[in-house]
Amino acid sequence: MRKIVMVLVALVVIASMVMACAPKATPAPTAAPEKPKLKVGMVTDVGGIDDKSFNATSWHGMELARDELGVEVAYLESQQQTDYAVNITQFIDQKYDMIITVGFLLGEDTKTFAEKNPNVKFAIVDYSYDPPIPNVLGLTFATDEDAFLAGYLAAGMTQTGKVGTFGGIKIPPVTIFMVGFENGVKYYNQKHGTNVQVLGWESAKDEGLFVGNFESTDDGRRAGEDLIGEGADIIMPVAGPVGLGTAAAVREHAGTMLIGVDTDWCISAAEYCPVVLTSVMKNMDVAVRDAIKMALDGTFKGGTYVGTLKNGGVGIAPFHEFDGKVPDSLKKELDQLKQDIIAGKINTGWQDYLATLK
Amino acid sequence: MSTPWQAVGARGSVSIRRARTYGFVFLAAGLFIFLLFARGLPAVQTTTFVLHPGGASQALPIPDLTLPSQTTLYILALLCVFLGGWQLARGFRRVNLVLGIIAGAFVIAFLTWAASGKSFNLTGLLNSALLRAVPIALAGLSGVLCERCAVINIAIEGMMLTGAFTAALMGSVAANVWKWPAPASLTFGLISALMAGALLGLLLAVLAVRFKVDQIIAGTAINILATGITSFLSARILSEFQYLNNPGIFRPVSLPLLSKIPIIGPVFFEQNILVYVLFILLAAVHIMLFYTRWGLRTRAVGEHPRAADTLGVNVFRTRYINVTLGGMVAGLAGAFLILGSVGRFDELMTAGKGFIGLAAMIFGKWTPFGAFGAALIFGFADALQTKLAILAVPIPSQFLLMAPYLVTMIVLAGVIGEAIPPAADGQPYEKQ
Repeated sequence: MRKIVMVLVALVVIASMVMACAPKATPAPTAAPEKPKLKVGMVTDVGGIDDKSFNATSWHGMELARDELGVEVAYLESQQQTDYAVNITQFIDQKYDMIITVGFLLGEDTKTFAEKNPNVKFAIVDYSYDPPIPNVLGLTFATDEDAFLAGYLAAGMTQTGKVGTFGGIKIPPVTIFMVGFENGVKYYNQKHGTNVQVLGWESAKDEGLFVGNFESTDDGRRAGEDLIGEGADIIMPVAGPVGLGTAAAVREHAGTMLIGVDTDWCISAAEYCPVVLTSVMKNMDVAVRDAIKMALDGTFKGGTYVGTLKNGGVGIAPFHEFDGKVPDSLKKELDQLKQDIIAGKINTGWQDYLATLK
Repeated sequence: MSTPWQAVGARGSVSIRRARTYGFVFLAAGLFIFLLFARGLPAVQTTTFVLHPGGASQALPIPDLTLPSQTTLYILALLCVFLGGWQLARGFRRVNLVLGIIAGAFVIAFLTWAASGKSFNLTGLLNSALLRAVPIALAGLSGVLCERCAVINIAIEGMMLTGAFTAALMGSVAANVWKWPAPASLTFGLISALMAGALLGLLLAVLAVRFKVDQIIAGTAINILATGITSFLSARILSEFQYLNNPGIFRPVSLPLLSKIPIIGPVFFEQNILVYVLFILLAAVHIMLFYTRWGLRTRAVGEHPRAADTLGVNVFRTRYINVTLGGMVAGLAGAFLILGSVGRFDELMTAGKGFIGLAAMIFGKWTPFGAFGAALIFGFADALQTKLAILAVPIPSQFLLMAPYLVTMIVLAGVIGEAIPPAADGQPYEKQ
């Protein structure tokens, strides 16, 4: 009897593991190419493929590549940080030509495997290597630039004189949003003689509010309520799906607004569109697709891609339902600001912040 | 709260050495407040505590409390030193109560210092603490139900996750496919979550009771199963059809009169129905466990199943029923995260709350109110660290994130003392 049970338990465990890890079967493209297709695998960070954030956006880039370039794509989800290496190994064992790893936290594992497998091409979102590794392209984004715009906008729109932000885990791809946001608010204060405060982040002290994970939407709601309780009426959560919990809190507090990150939340989380002022977008899908395209063309080489306002790698989303509420003068100022940032006339403060860390 | 079990566990009076230690701890708290908090502040600064939650709260508006920071800190420091001196000289009879006062004074001093020159929403802090405690307390309650009859339930996390998923899916189906009105669809989601939890509870019971599988392994298997299935279905169903992941949320219900009480009113009596369900469940499980025949049998099965069996208690049936009930409560904890908080399912969204609930149960000595108390301490520490980060207190964020766990450990080691599990906990029962 016991044996049977142990076998049953083992089966349950194996079945669920397979379910958890199995890449979604992706429909085969209709046109049958003659030469063997490029096989591209993506390893997600924790938070799931449907995180409305960097996993989802990167996967969207993979889907674009599949539809436009006819490559074969698959993904493996990481349920915890120890899965990173396991998932990368799985793709290597299955002779994938290119592996995209999503997230800063995969930086170390990606490096290890890239050095061991020089023939496999790697691209990693939110990480870059110095010195560069010949077969790894780091896809980074200057989100300080569009977060700066969002901060300026928030400072112009707040009624309470306080705006808030918080992060998931204190790592550079998260804090870059917060630094840009804070400096955008400060720039508005400087230009308009106002005194709008930023709750939840202070570059000078290098401290702010973090929930400590990228999964617990409940924590996001609590952090949002705490920020609202201290007077913030516009909140930018930089924590992937955790921010959706904040959106639920914002929706229940009249007069408060949300700034999405990574994607245009008005589209990716449409139910919250009525409270989304704008989103600080990080167009990872375009970057991922372009990296795959380079691999296909043979122009791929190791190094770093930086998405900026100038090349369209980052940008703020349309105001959607708030379009009528944002004053025209503020819109004009934002356009001008964008041009100034592209021209390098305005400093978003990210490099200065990095310098203070050293 | 004196339970029969605690009466057995009481161990004489506090020893002299321990009494001394308490005295020195009180003195140290006073000195700490004086040296680290009070002395560094400019004399003129004030701290404002906001006592109204703001928004649409029904609580009677009361003015904010503005205190001169430094004077307040001196008074609190003096209080601690006085209590410490008294403890060393004379000794308090109810030293735990005094320890509670000192801890309270220390927290107030800390807040006064942290928020000096600024304002601080005290009611918001308490509200946040309670809401953070709710899922943990429910998870702890689930653990109490299972372990009191000697089945270790390490699968609470997985049951919560499954409950959350089911609540989101079925609530959405009722609301957006069948077009039921909000209260009915939410209730349907809630009941579905309870059923899903019960099913997993039953699975654990079958594995643990019928097949005598190692309970830790059975629980871990259920956790992995739940993580896998919910992630898979979420990616396959919820992300494809977004209307299946939008069940809505139970709105807060103000209890008449009670919600008007300043400070306490908005914290305890202006919550959504699931919070009230927790309060009712706590009382109900406490009474049932310690004052009914079912409770006596449950505890007997947990302490000495053979003796219970000899006296005609059906050990297996008791375990089946309790573990299934425990699964239901864990499902409720998951449903709270969806229907009482964020209104949508995301992969792995329980983020370890089930395990923290299990810890709360142990810290609470396997009693419902003990588990709730531990959950409250944890929730308070978590809420406090959030507020401190918002106030930009010069403490590293990594340390602040550690604070809830640290505080819980200190309180438990210092105040609660040894926790003794039910004697037969984790052992399968073999009928002779």
